[in-house]
Amino acid sequence: MAVKISFKLNGEDVSINVDDHVTLMDMLREEFDLFGAKEGCGYGECGSCTVLVDDKAVNSCLMLAVAVNGRSVLTIEGLAGPRGELDPLQKSFVEKGAVQCGFCTPGMIMSAKALLLEKPCPTEEEIRKGMAGNLCRCTGYAKIVEAIKAASERGCSCGKDS
Amino acid sequence: MRRFTYYEPESLKEAIALLEKNGETARLLAGGTDLIVEIKQEKKSPDHLVSLRRIPGLQEMDFSDGELCIGAMVTHRMIEKAELIRDKYSLLADAVDNLGSVQVRNVATIGGNICNAAPSADTAAPLVALGARLVVEGPAGERQIPIDEFFKGPGKTDLGAGEILRCIRIPALPQGAGSCYIKHARRKAMDLPLLGIAVIIVPDANMVCREARIALSLAGPKPFRAEQAEAFVTGKPLSEEVWKQAGEIAVGESNPRSSFRTTAAYRRKMIGTLIPRAAAVSLQRVNRAWMKG
Amino acid sequence: MAKTLEPKTKEMEFTSIGQRVPKLDAWDKVQGKTMYIHDVKLPRMLHGKILWSKYAHARIVSIDTSKAEQLPGVRAVITGYNTPEIRCGFIKDNPVLKKDKVRQYRDEVAAVAADTPEIAEEAIKLIDVVYEELPGVFDPEEAMQEGAPLIHEDKGSNVLKLPWKMICGDVEEGRKQADYIVEETYKLPFVTHCCLGTSGCIAQFDAKGNLTVYSPTQIRYLAQKDFQEALNALGLKGKKVKVIQTAIGGGFGSKLDTYPFEFITILLAYYTGRPVKLVYSREEEFFASPGRQPVRAKISQGCTKEGKLTFRDVEMILDNGAYTSWGATTPSVMMMPISSLYQVPNIRYVAKCVHTNNIYSTAMRGYGNPQATFAIESQLDTLAEKAGIDPWEFRMINRNKPGEITPQKFEVGSCGMKECLEAVKEKLQWDEKRGKGNGRGVGIASLIHVGGGARIYKSDGCGTILKLDDFGKVSLLTSASDMGQGSETVLAQIVAEELGLHVEDVDVIMKDTNLEIWDAGAHASRSTFVAGNSALYAARKAKEEILEFAATMLKEPKENLYLRDRMLYSRNNPEVSMTIDKLLRAAHFRTNGRQIVVSEFYDPPTQMLDREMKGNFSAAYTYGVHGVEVEVDKETGQIKILKMVIAMDVGRAINPMAVEGQLEGGGAMGLGYSLMEELHLEKGKVLNGNFLDYKIMTFPDMPPIESVIVETYDEKGPFGAKGIGEPPLVGSAPAIANAVWDALGVRIRELPITPEKIVAALEGKKGS
Ligand SMILES: Cc1cc2nc3c(=O)[nH]c(=O)nc-3n(C[C@H](O)[C@H](O)[C@H](O)COP(=O)(O)OP(=O)(O)OC[C@H]3O[C@@H](n4cnc5c(N)ncnc54)[C@H](O)[C@@H]3O)c2cc1C
Ligand code: FES
Ligand code: FES
Repeated sequence: MAVKISFKLNGEDVSINVDDHVTLMDMLREEFDLFGAKEGCGYGECGSCTVLVDDKAVNSCLMLAVAVNGRSVLTIEGLAGPRGELDPLQKSFVEKGAVQCGFCTPGMIMSAKALLLEKPCPTEEEIRKGMAGNLCRCTGYAKIVEAIKAASERGCSCGKDS
Repeated sequence: MRRFTYYEPESLKEAIALLEKNGETARLLAGGTDLIVEIKQEKKSPDHLVSLRRIPGLQEMDFSDGELCIGAMVTHRMIEKAELIRDKYSLLADAVDNLGSVQVRNVATIGGNICNAAPSADTAAPLVALGARLVVEGPAGERQIPIDEFFKGPGKTDLGAGEILRCIRIPALPQGAGSCYIKHARRKAMDLPLLGIAVIIVPDANMVCREARIALSLAGPKPFRAEQAEAFVTGKPLSEEVWKQAGEIAVGESNPRSSFRTTAAYRRKMIGTLIPRAAAVSLQRVNRAWMKG
Repeated sequence: MAKTLEPKTKEMEFTSIGQRVPKLDAWDKVQGKTMYIHDVKLPRMLHGKILWSKYAHARIVSIDTSKAEQLPGVRAVITGYNTPEIRCGFIKDNPVLKKDKVRQYRDEVAAVAADTPEIAEEAIKLIDVVYEELPGVFDPEEAMQEGAPLIHEDKGSNVLKLPWKMICGDVEEGRKQADYIVEETYKLPFVTHCCLGTSGCIAQFDAKGNLTVYSPTQIRYLAQKDFQEALNALGLKGKKVKVIQTAIGGGFGSKLDTYPFEFITILLAYYTGRPVKLVYSREEEFFASPGRQPVRAKISQGCTKEGKLTFRDVEMILDNGAYTSWGATTPSVMMMPISSLYQVPNIRYVAKCVHTNNIYSTAMRGYGNPQATFAIESQLDTLAEKAGIDPWEFRMINRNKPGEITPQKFEVGSCGMKECLEAVKEKLQWDEKRGKGNGRGVGIASLIHVGGGARIYKSDGCGTILKLDDFGKVSLLTSASDMGQGSETVLAQIVAEELGLHVEDVDVIMKDTNLEIWDAGAHASRSTFVAGNSALYAARKAKEEILEFAATMLKEPKENLYLRDRMLYSRNNPEVSMTIDKLLRAAHFRTNGRQIVVSEFYDPPTQMLDREMKGNFSAAYTYGVHGVEVEVDKETGQIKILKMVIAMDVGRAINPMAVEGQLEGGGAMGLGYSLMEELHLEKGKVLNGNFLDYKIMTFPDMPPIESVIVETYDEKGPFGAKGIGEPPLVGSAPAIANAVWDALGVRIRELPITPEKIVAALEGKKGS
């Protein structure tokens, strides 16, 4: 059965008819052509489908599309500024070599985004714990941690050495 | 994924009615981190999913008269961040701290964790140790189930047709209690426990054990209290040696299984090893100021 | 940390080489713009799905597809009975759709193409297959026994007719010379790549019967050849195949062969006349994408009182699974460490690959080397202890040296083993930390790997085309593949350096068999070396042309001219200075002028192994040393890795950030292999095909990895570089096993090194 839902997608109000059983990930990919959220597992185990719902990181593969009715969804495609200027996280991921095959990257960046929204200057331990739901097979994570630290330094005002 | 119809009732009554109407073909949906996975894996095949997300009150935590009441839809992330739980119910904080990932904890609920009744549920042993009572609402009205009567085996609970867990009541802990939950797992994150060990200790001013509770998960078909071990420690000085012996007694009360994840022998050995460790941490957490005063 | 080479002259100071240039494709990747196979949609595209066998060994009595065919939205249902036979694998023992019998739990029995993935999935369930179960065999040693069920009746035996054997010197003589000998057995499990992007492809025929396959393959050209055979089977001889490479969501060897699913997709596209996409779910990826081959190794080594190795004798049994893919050829690479890791005069190696009803295996990062090195390097510690020599000293005594020729006839050029050993010793604080036995310990292990290609096909070549445009920009068409390791960037750096341009001036195109020349594939850590030399020599040709033209135009001796920073200069004449784009326009826009386009096909100066399995396989060899410090909880058996040091002789780090990326990523994969990864099979069925039960390292699991880049400058490599893709995984497991030994005095000879095994070993030690 299709139901009509309305929500904010990357800052824009959208409405769409969607079947009850469709996941948020499938809706983003199939209906909105937003391919940033990737299916690495489909079971909540890898984080490559991570998007933000009401500023919180969720696995879009386990969330039903109908459940975002009335909420706000942010995907990797909505992260850059209005004129395409990259988010500090996106920049630091490139500059610090945090990207290899890149399949995990959008999910990684979205998880990191949620982390920094909540904690602008996390410690390394907090980064590792906060990012634990995102698997990467290529990088060994070190450069991703570095990239998140670098991005957080821009948003951090506490002077703490993270 | 299999097709189903999704409902967002706005009251428990409405939800119960939906369950009654659709019987076996309906399922409640909380965070979906168990249920959606099971539907995708074709282990469950409901035709109707009744979401609890719009029902008022289920996402609240309330602490009054020393009793803590956690709504069934409270997420692990909310528990993780609740100062009060970290202070007073450290073992529950331990349990959610490392449950799944941030993404999972943001949506997964304590009610789902309990109602799914997986042997690996991280909140099970702590809630058993805490002597939680489950407040359930169904077609015949409300009833309360002591948690050790709630679990009926892997995936099985005492919930009847049309019944919904509304909240989890946790009686006040005696003053000066210290507690801890150890999740023994292979990885540091994103892992289900191979063994869950929950300990609550209440010492008196002379560090003699007034009360001890030991609850274990994955040490048998369902979570249970190691009553003989508890009895053994009670009244004894809280020494490492006593806890070592208690650990061994608990091993005798356990009946873990072997699977590809680990062996029964290893689980048994870890029960003996980790109970004293959980006790040691609990003891550190005992409110010493109270003891002195 | 990098030991850098002194530039010789001013213009030898590098502008691109040695720089931490961010990956060129990372900009798209961080915006979610990169298209992986999962993201590609073609007009009218259908979705394919495979029906897998539910038995590990069974006769197919009947297949009834009628119900599936009637389901609305189903466009084709195929089985081995209604399609021409196509076989895959290098000995062609794997029919892409099984007929008469299935030999593994995941055999392809039927497939459908439908309008949506959901319909395809539903249709699969409507196919009725009647099986008659046959007794299976799941242990290679049992499979070798007389009377064991035969997996392939036509082969007459479960032992593959691919006997691996190499003899150097005289092992019996070596045994006599030895004062100490250790003999042990080691065991390695099934593990798998776990690329975050699962396997998949899209096949499409044009109206003339030509085929295009979109695929994240690591072997565009070998796949093209394989797919050509599918066309032949379909009676489309003479038609063309084009392979278009989509972004690769991780490779690690998994995409080094062609597999039944790709041929099935081609068949479905053929029978429906529409593009068909087939992508594995994660569960399918775990059971159906072949992983690393399990190995049992009996090994003995001996040494003199002075600690000189006198012989190494290794016998292996490999579980080949039901079919043959590259896993069966990994002994050809295992020979490398067995013959040439340390100086060992007498060597014997025999290996058998044995069919079972288990899943089959393919190439995986390291290609046999991690299995062999685990046995060799673990045992070296035991041997050193027997001889009363510090394990580090022991390795120094036997280490490889630059310029040596090994018993397998490898001509070692540069060799930084000594530097790597020294660096790891220092970083680990070896002398202070070793031998305390208090639950903390340190361990090391060395490795050798091919670093200059590997001649496993008659050609180990790679082609480059360079086109210089009127704006001073370069199109670099290379047949190499980038799976994330950064080849694209490294090649751009090489070309930019040689042409005096900036990395941004180079556009790298690597995707289409119709555009680029040919390449043997992204394997054997060969891309930087082989594709790098190919690009370098192409750039040299282009530079020659530019300088020649400039010399004529400016009437300056050519030898004096050089390119740097987008400019042409003369060494002797400060007056000469011109931008390269202007120069290029001048060369183009004149009578008889032209744009500069050059091509190069580079095939490294190497030999195929001869009948005795000897020869100079690779043009350069990479060396490295892993060091770890562990803390083990004696009660729970849990291992905490306090530190991991990986020192690698990479010849020259063209891009140190990319090299570190390989070291850290390879280190992580190596830690997983050492500590927690294992596919559990029960009667051929994978039990743990998900990321919760098949455990790879997560963020909090990763210890700090310290990368030490040693630069020895290899004469043959591009700017001195050698390959580094696989080595960082190789030495992890033995280094950890050795550290555990140092910490506890127990030797774990079976991966992964789990707490259960440690606890059991400690109990065994107490008991004895
Ligand atoms: C990647 C991953 C990692 C995980 N790691 C852990 C872990 O470390 N430890 C752990 O314990 N669990 C783990 N889980 C399992 C899961 O997240 C938890 O069990 C979670 O608490 C389930 O809650 P939920 O809200 O998502 O439940 P749901 O999936 O929505 O529901 C689970 C079941 O409970 C029923 N139900 C839910 N609420 C009620 C109610 N109020 N009344 C009656 N019935 C109800 C549903 O009908 C369903 O059958 C993990 C899951 C994933 C996907
Ligand atoms: S795809 Fe959602 S967590 Fe893996
Ligand atoms: S970059 Fe490949 S999985 Fe993370």
